[in-house]
Amino acid sequence: MLGKGETPGHQNPPQHKDDDDDDAPHGVVKLISAEGFEFVVDKKAAMVSNTLRNMLTSPGGFSETREGEVRFPEISTPILEKICQYFYWSLHYSSGKETSEFQIEPEITLELMMAANYLDT
Amino acid sequence: MASASASTDSGGGRSEMRLVDRCIDAAARGAATVEAWRRQRRSLERLPAQLADALLRRLAARRLLFPSLLEVFQHSVEEIDLSGHIAINAEWLAYLGSFRYLRVLKLADCKNVNSSAVWALSGMSTLKELDLSRCSKISDAGIKHIASIESLEKLHVSQTGLTDNGVMAISSLKNLHLLDLGGIRITDKAIRSLQVLTQLEHLDIWGSEITNEGASVLNAFTSLSFLNLSWTHVTCLPILPTMRCLNMSNCTIHSICSGDSKVFIHLEKFIISAASFGNINEVFSSILPSSLTYLDMSSCSLSNLYCLENMKNIEHLDLSYNRIINDAVEYVANIGMNLKFLSLSNSQVTSQALCVLAGTVPSLTTLSLAHTKVDDSALLYISMMPSLRTLNLSHTCIKGFVIENSVKILSISALEELKYLESLNLDDTQLTDDAIPPLVSFRALKYLFLKSDFLSDPALHALSSASNLIQLGFCGNILSSSGLLKFVPPAMLCVLDLSGCWILTGDAISAFCRCHPVIEVRHELMQELQTNSGGTSQLHKFRQPQQIKAYVAKSLASPGRLADICFVDERIKYSKEELMELQHLAKSNSLMHVVQLPPELRRSI
Repeated sequence: MLGKGETPGHQNPPQHKDDDDDDAPHGVVKLISAEGFEFVVDKKAAMVSNTLRNMLTSPGGFSETREGEVRFPEISTPILEKICQYFYWSLHYSSGKETSEFQIEPEITLELMMAANYLDT
Repeated sequence: MASASASTDSGGGRSEMRLVDRCIDAAARGAATVEAWRRQRRSLERLPAQLADALLRRLAARRLLFPSLLEVFQHSVEEIDLSGHIAINAEWLAYLGSFRYLRVLKLADCKNVNSSAVWALSGMSTLKELDLSRCSKISDAGIKHIASIESLEKLHVSQTGLTDNGVMAISSLKNLHLLDLGGIRITDKAIRSLQVLTQLEHLDIWGSEITNEGASVLNAFTSLSFLNLSWTHVTCLPILPTMRCLNMSNCTIHSICSGDSKVFIHLEKFIISAASFGNINEVFSSILPSSLTYLDMSSCSLSNLYCLENMKNIEHLDLSYNRIINDAVEYVANIGMNLKFLSLSNSQVTSQALCVLAGTVPSLTTLSLAHTKVDDSALLYISMMPSLRTLNLSHTCIKGFVIENSVKILSISALEELKYLESLNLDDTQLTDDAIPPLVSFRALKYLFLKSDFLSDPALHALSSASNLIQLGFCGNILSSSGLLKFVPPAMLCVLDLSGCWILTGDAISAFCRCHPVIEVRHELMQELQTNSGGTSQLHKFRQPQQIKAYVAKSLASPGRLADICFVDERIKYSKEELMELQHLAKSNSLMHVVQLPPELRRSI
């Protein structure tokens, strides 16, 4: 996963050179849930979300992304975990490595729907 | 909106389905999944409007919605479309009435919504659009409740039980921009009372009892841009300078701008199908010639097209069902520069008309010449219409060849010049098998229709190499079972319509379907075959709905009807050899008595 995550990392430096050191070597981003749980995911996976893609690629850079972490005070830990699973499932599905459907438990559909809407994914 | 379209996508679209859509899909999977989230009140109240709207829409489409479930959406939903749901009644509306932020409510064709049911809507101060079209149980008593919703900007009450009195009550809705009163028998009195609605931009009063007197007050609507007066007795209109779209189909038209002959209306769309005219040229002289882009003059019994003069910006021109002869086509040629759609079907034109049009219609994409006397000599001229995508030559005299100096020349190949030709309709022409091969070299051709009585196996086989063909209609032709089995379909083919190919056997069709599961075959025997095969056939995107249809048909059919279906086609009993024998017999009647027939065949002949 980490190896793949480097690809977007290499693309980043020309866009914001000052925080080159923070972003490029890791190629990961930390997503923090409402309860403070931290999920470290490859940037490539995080960019399945258009909201995160904008944050990670915008020339100015959001203050959160410069520190390599994004806080989601509105998203609970189980939902954020499911979101992260979706990021990786989506990458594998589009590359053809994954063929099974993404399972969504009926109990979490509303919360997940809102989180997905916020993350534009 | 995006989620709604994603829901209808199947197959290929599924992989690109967004997580939001997957969640909506999962939430509306069944009654049990609904129970899993319907008590999550806090989440439901926080739901953004567009998600709530999409979820409600999906639940409605899957028939999972019931009145008390509506309650959970009352703080989130802004738009509801329940059009066509017969179940909607007073109980549903009682819940809908308590929605806090509802802007749009569409209940068209909800037959059980009546006057007392809409009482629940009367206090909805956020409502901007209400569609009650064809809710025939809504009468004047019901509209009184609606007339109190002052926020309304769009109101559709066409084909309801309203009368003059009900329509007069609508005059209290001062914010109305759009009012659809189609099919209500209102009189001049009602239209006079609506004069106070000065914001009105769109007024639909087709089929009303309005006369010229009522029409004379229409100029009170100073912003009116859309007016539908079809099927009324209106013959003269006052000057309506803001009007852009006018429908006066089935009217007798004397003037659309009476009083001042110097005023031009900037009319963009003029629909006058089946209208008659006092003096058509006078009517058209009040239109600013450069403004008109859409003109439907079908069924007007016109023979002269002088009225088209200077209408240089027309893009859509429907002249079907008129008495137009070749000379009149000159007027079309003069204004052909921007023409994209032209229908001359069911008119008196012949190939000579195409000679006039050739070279004058550079933008034409759709041309219909169906049911005209056009023959092969027109094809050369048609090939000079470079943008053509859709060409309808059905029921014409096209043979596919011309005899020049006693040499047979395949005329259809002239159309090869048309680089963008996607759809070609040659149904019920006189094409023969040897005229078909040139069609293969039409690069862009995707839809081809060859319904006929004369084509046979070689014609179908020739089309194997039509590489981009998506849909092929080969209805009614003399296609044998072995001919079908030898057919190698083009790679892209999705639909093969063989309806009315009477020699085909069920065995041959099912064998063909087995070999080519991707192709949807249409034939009278298909339904029966699918019912018999049950669920064993391959899973493919269009196969499922077909099976459902077959299943529904099966469950609906009474025992008597089932018996009918069993005897729909006697040929299914016979082997291929026996049928080939029959086919041979059909060609040579004289031999019939000599040949030894199986007893069943003897009976059927």
